[in-house]
Amino acid sequence: MTNIISIKNFRMQFGKATVIKDLSFDVKRGETFGFLGSNGSGKTTTIRALLGIYQPTSGDLLIDGKPYTVSGDIKLGYLPEERGLYKKESVLDIMTYFGQLKGMSRADARKASLAYLRRVKLEDKATTRLDKLSGGQQQKIQLGITIMDDPELLILDEPTKGFDPVNRKLLMDIIEEHQAKGATVVMVTHQMEEVERLCDRIILLKDGKAHAYGTIAEVKKKFGNKSLDDIFLKVYGDENATEEED
Amino acid sequence: MHNLGTVIRFEITRALKKKSFWIMALGFPIMLAAIFGIVFLSNKTTDQAVKDLEKQKFSLQVTDESTLVNPALLTAVKATTITNKQQGIDNVKNGTVDGYIYYPADLTKQPIEVYGKDVGMFDNGRYEGVARALLLNSVQSTVSPQVSSVIQGNTPTNLTTYRGSEVYDPLKQMIIPGIFLVLFYMLIAFFGNQMLVSTTEEKENRVIEMILTTIEARTLIIGKIISLISLAFLQGLVIIVPALVGYLLFHEQLSLPSFDLTSLPVDWGRIGVGALIFATSFILFTGLLVLIGSSVPTAKEAGGFIGIIMMLIFGPLYAAPLFISQPDSPFVHFLSLFPFTAPIPLLLRNAVGNLQSWEIMLAIPIILVSAVIVLNLAVRVFRFGALEYSRKLSLKEIFGK
Repeated sequence: MTNIISIKNFRMQFGKATVIKDLSFDVKRGETFGFLGSNGSGKTTTIRALLGIYQPTSGDLLIDGKPYTVSGDIKLGYLPEERGLYKKESVLDIMTYFGQLKGMSRADARKASLAYLRRVKLEDKATTRLDKLSGGQQQKIQLGITIMDDPELLILDEPTKGFDPVNRKLLMDIIEEHQAKGATVVMVTHQMEEVERLCDRIILLKDGKAHAYGTIAEVKKKFGNKSLDDIFLKVYGDENATEEED
Repeated sequence: MHNLGTVIRFEITRALKKKSFWIMALGFPIMLAAIFGIVFLSNKTTDQAVKDLEKQKFSLQVTDESTLVNPALLTAVKATTITNKQQGIDNVKNGTVDGYIYYPADLTKQPIEVYGKDVGMFDNGRYEGVARALLLNSVQSTVSPQVSSVIQGNTPTNLTTYRGSEVYDPLKQMIIPGIFLVLFYMLIAFFGNQMLVSTTEEKENRVIEMILTTIEARTLIIGKIISLISLAFLQGLVIIVPALVGYLLFHEQLSLPSFDLTSLPVDWGRIGVGALIFATSFILFTGLLVLIGSSVPTAKEAGGFIGIIMMLIFGPLYAAPLFISQPDSPFVHFLSLFPFTAPIPLLLRNAVGNLQSWEIMLAIPIILVSAVIVLNLAVRVFRFGALEYSRKLSLKEIFGK
């Protein structure tokens, strides 16, 4: 399998603080990749640098062999950790707008939006203003925008954050559908059951470096075949978890 | 600029859906209509006042020591005359009559005294109206209409001035180029705040990451600016069209000066220069407002800057007499060429006609280059300050990124 994401010698510094010291890893086309680490370990920073939101201090962060630009060829779906949409607009208008920005025709974007709303049982909210929806419903809308054009690369930063178990299952099902269609999925998550269920390979980030990297079996083997939960506790248990930006 | 049309359509559509836009857009014309309506209602002619006098339903007593009031008019309004002033006042007090007017012997030294039964704040004015109308019509009836017109200052004059052998009216000459000055003032005044907060929404709603990974920051900023300009022009039309139609249809009733619009001189050179100054200045200040909006985290913080920008743009208005009387002074040249103060001096001086060719050749490129620099800076700041959700960027960060 070819690499769809390739990160080499990535270093990221904010002022005097070095968040990522030296990070290298690849994501293969068609796989589901788990990006794990404690709060503040640099996961979101890495994703943002990969997508050109941050300028890396040094290193190469490539998607399909080149730095990511929105005008590139790859169809990308990105669900950021910071959730939010235009709050004063109707659900359908927002989804249609983003669909058009992603290159869909207005008609196709509306059609895809309505289909998704039916799927997640929000069809009656199509003309409702976003700020009239609950937090969980708003997250579903944002997920819908992320996947509406059938992206070949899905980057989901803590996708189940704020979802109840029912909606978490729905989200897992949707991700599996995209896996089945051949999409590459990169998931930033703290939920080990999601990792076990969905991921082919994982990376554990600690102190700005890759602490472990490989298939789930390889990583487990490295830690004496413990469960992922135990591995997570062992690797990060001695850290004081913070709520700072990843 | 892929997706530019989509951004513009989205931004315009959602602005048009907002109640606040229409309140702002229609508020001014409605206010104008209300003011003109009041003027129209209060603009009763003397003739009308006389007719009204005859219809007055209130009883009236008059003492005329000036001997100027025509007794026939008093009879027409069914007023009775008495000689004792105190008696007249007492009659009002005890309800024998509704009103009493006392005309003193020397009207140049003493005021007309009017007494009346209270009939409310607005209707109480009828007593004074009758007192004035009786006197005015009495005096007018003693002189010819021409003399009456001269005394009232209603004699029309017709001034013709020349520049060389050509008829040249400076006031008329500045009307069309001056429209750009008025338009610039109104658009910035009405839309300045909206421009300032236009990019904070993405930050406040935390939609910025999805946007930046879907669309070029430049496309978003340019799209927002174009939509703001389009909305500003729509706003301009909403103000100008009703005002123009209102003037054409009602200027006589409103006692507004009568202009033959077709006789306005059209100097295409000055109109072209005015349009160029207007367009480049508008882009420059839109870019500046967007730049400030991009460097702060919330609309509330952005709002604090609007006063500074307004002062920068419209501060030079205080030096307006200088622009006309001393156009060659270094101070006027400086204000006309410094990009952030230039719009008002340039537009005003272009309207007046004392803007020199070399200033035009220098000023417009300066504003244009400044606009491009500011717009690029706005894009950079939006791009790299995008995730600063809780603090505003420092100048070092803005220029150092």
